[in-house]
Amino acid sequence: MTRIILALLAFLAFAPSALAAPPEPATLAEGQVLRGRFVQERHLKGFQNPLKSEGRFTLVPGRGLLWRTDKPFAMTTVMSPSGIVQEVRGTETMRLPASKLPFLSKLYAMLGGALGGDLRSLEGLFAVTRESDPAGWRMVLVPLKADDPAMPIRRITLTGARLVEAVEIVKPEGDSDILRFLDQELIAGPPAEDEAGLLGAADRS
Amino acid sequence: MSRRLAAWAWLALVLLAGLHLVHRIQDGLTFRTDLLALLPREEQDPVLQRANEAVSRALGRRVVALVGDTSRERARAAAQALSADLKATGLVSAAGDEIGADRMKAMGALYFPHRRGLLSEGDRALLLAGRGEEIALRALSQAYGVFGMADANLLRADPFLLLPSFFTGLPFPLSKLTPDDGLLTVVEDGTTWILVTALLAGEPFELDVQERVIGAFDAAVERLRRDSPGLQVKRLGAVFFAQAGSQAALSESSWLSTLSLGGTVLLILLVFRRVGPLLHNLLALGVGLGVGLSGSLFLFGELHVAALLFGTSLIGVAVDYSLHYSACLFDRTAGTPRERLAHVLPGIQLGLLTTLIGYMALMLAPFPGLRQIAAFSILGLLAAFLTVALWLPALDRSAPLRHGDGLLAAAGRLWRFWEDARWRPARALLLVALGLVGVLGLSRLHVDDDVRRLQSLSPELVREQEEIQRRIGATTATQFLLVRASDDEAALRREEDIAGALAALKGDGAIAGYQMPASFVPSARRQAENRALLRGALEGPYLAAQREQLGLPPAPPEKDGEAVAPLTLAAALGRGDVPFLGELVLGPGLHVVALQGLTRPDAVRAALAGVEGVRLVDPTADFSALLGKYRERAMLLIAGSALLMVPVLVWRYGWRGALRTMLPSSLALAIAPAVAALAGQGFTFFHAMALVLILSVGVDYSIFCAESGPASRAGEGGPDRRPVTMVAVWLATLTTLLSFGLLAFSQVAAVHSFGLTMLVGVSLSFLLAPLAARPKVTTPARA
Repeated sequence: MTRIILALLAFLAFAPSALAAPPEPATLAEGQVLRGRFVQERHLKGFQNPLKSEGRFTLVPGRGLLWRTDKPFAMTTVMSPSGIVQEVRGTETMRLPASKLPFLSKLYAMLGGALGGDLRSLEGLFAVTRESDPAGWRMVLVPLKADDPAMPIRRITLTGARLVEAVEIVKPEGDSDILRFLDQELIAGPPAEDEAGLLGAADRS
Repeated sequence: MSRRLAAWAWLALVLLAGLHLVHRIQDGLTFRTDLLALLPREEQDPVLQRANEAVSRALGRRVVALVGDTSRERARAAAQALSADLKATGLVSAAGDEIGADRMKAMGALYFPHRRGLLSEGDRALLLAGRGEEIALRALSQAYGVFGMADANLLRADPFLLLPSFFTGLPFPLSKLTPDDGLLTVVEDGTTWILVTALLAGEPFELDVQERVIGAFDAAVERLRRDSPGLQVKRLGAVFFAQAGSQAALSESSWLSTLSLGGTVLLILLVFRRVGPLLHNLLALGVGLGVGLSGSLFLFGELHVAALLFGTSLIGVAVDYSLHYSACLFDRTAGTPRERLAHVLPGIQLGLLTTLIGYMALMLAPFPGLRQIAAFSILGLLAAFLTVALWLPALDRSAPLRHGDGLLAAAGRLWRFWEDARWRPARALLLVALGLVGVLGLSRLHVDDDVRRLQSLSPELVREQEEIQRRIGATTATQFLLVRASDDEAALRREEDIAGALAALKGDGAIAGYQMPASFVPSARRQAENRALLRGALEGPYLAAQREQLGLPPAPPEKDGEAVAPLTLAAALGRGDVPFLGELVLGPGLHVVALQGLTRPDAVRAALAGVEGVRLVDPTADFSALLGKYRERAMLLIAGSALLMVPVLVWRYGWRGALRTMLPSSLALAIAPAVAALAGQGFTFFHAMALVLILSVGVDYSIFCAESGPASRAGEGGPDRRPVTMVAVWLATLTTLLSFGLLAFSQVAAVHSFGLTMLVGVSLSFLLAPLAARPKVTTPARA
């Protein structure tokens, strides 16, 4: 599950560049930083309202991904080549070193692959359907292996124009996550000092 | 004639013993191999022994391999093929500790109804410290987080996500492995390693099991390597070590025994140039072994394999009697077989008497093993003696041999070395050298009972084992904690009481981890405490806010009483869904706490000293301690039996003669261990057993020499019989060296120690034996 989401997150930024005919492909390279806001809605069966959260994200190629939730409470998640660290109000609530999770290194292979326009790693796991029109593109990913316990996902849908704008993940039991990305900007230059600090903290595992 | 009658009576007895033996063999004769049988009665603890066996068996049956390749797909395919090939032998089953999706589901179903009584160690500590808010936050971060793994159903029933935390906290070993698409995997430097585990259906020490399982394993690996040459396979498991050990032992023992048996037969044939003496010797030895075995089975009802092994060696002394008799063929003055027997009988009788005294001293020990060895040897020696005394003259049709002049002259040289004045400097030099070796060696002598140094483990397998342990995490140690209590609940409470001490030991690095049944199923007391803690420290202050934050309706009012009974160990065991738990519970109230990566047993023992019903069981150390006890006892008995021999020798030779007779073996007894010490060996039980044997053969050689000395009663005024005696002693020495001295070339440490000690001790006993005879030139004052 985590693997898929991480893969998707990696894909968010780079998928457009990898598509055959994107409206305006963006290429992210070392030395660039992608920042934006996100809104996440988690629809859980039996819950009256979706669990809604929003915040900011920063993607630094080669370093990692920062996922900072502001609402409903402050929470920072850092994903880097050394693993995943999650922190809530100064308390670390999760730390998964990459050495304990071999798929993390695989994820980085995928990330690299996506940067180079190589989609084979995703295509090994999913059947990919692509549609594209002048306004943007849409991609539907369905797991190749149905009922695989290692991949509790029924379907993933990505939509975007120059960059990925929305992702919908549907789980087998009918729960789903909807992520929307707003105000994305691609800037050349190093990450900000606080971002670099957070990324560095995640490396201490 | 009474002698005839006696011979027939002895035949009847031997036949009776033979029948008894045949009967026992038909019933399926087996030997005890367990160490329990070797312990003194008062120290035996059947419960401990049962636990020991259960744990050792569970560990010993585990077959572990790590299959590595730079390609994840190739590694996975190879691991699966290897696993399938092993299963196809029908001798292994799945290890049952894989934690697949089905197993997780089953465990979820088992634990879910009881979740309110289950808290992970960490959560419990947080709640006890009043930090429940952190648990609430952690659950929220999982529910809202981008890597949210919370499932809607679970979150509704368990809004603090305590059950997933309990699962993550379960102490599964092999901590460095992660399930990757159903296979336990670790990635290191670009190589994907996949774990392959299996359980042997049979014992790892059965040769047939070894051959078939290892055969299938090797064939599979060879085939897989052909397809992908970069494939690496590392092995871990008792079956691999046992197979390597038995391979080495088999090839070694086959050439050692060929050399020993062939050498002995060739020697006797060459010396006597007749088949007769060879057959006589075989008869005496065969009757000795048969009667010894039959008699001790009759006495004890059963026999330990160690008693059989050492007893057989000790009976080997019996060949000295028949050789002594046969050597008289070279004595032209001794005419009929009966006259020849009369010549050697005093020496043989005295030799037997002293040897029996020595072995009887072994019977005094409260150690069943030593007693069996003693009884076996005493019966065998008596039987061999009676065979020589009663049968050989009747069976013997040989005339004296005429080809022995050269042999006699050669044998006589040893006498001259000790008597001729021109050898005086050489004699002095030899004694000084011996003294030097003795002092140097004895000053370096140290005792070492550690059984691990007696095993010769394949270095390649040891290296592979270390590599595997480094990659997958510390594996379960052979040492374990045994928890004994009146019932399961009491045992679980005991484990919970020592959990703090164990956590501290883990923090200190004395152990890498541990699994106790209480980690999987807390005691009913602990479950009740947990429920109270949950209500008071988490639900009371935070539940309403948590549900609101998650968008859940307010919780239904708490029901009175405990609607759900606590989870019981029996329930968890009954379904077999919890990995490892079955191996940790041996019986009601009898639990095992498995330890991983134990580096400092002493620290563990110290931390748990004084805790009732909990003890560290260290089978290797226990065995080493047992060997130590046997070594000490054997040494005492050697001293005791040497002292007991003295009165017999004094009666026969007077004080001076007795001391002279004891001198060669005493020197051999001191210098043999000294040489072993100079060779860098620690003194073990096996050295001690060699000393027992050296004492008996050494005294025999001395007595044979003393009996034929010029001043001895038999030799007074008669022909010089000493060269004939020396031929006998020389033959006895060579045969003994061929059967025991050759063992010095063994690769097995225990056998090598035994062999080296024998080689030195017996050679010295032989070289020094003439010292036992009274000097040719008697001092005028005494004449």
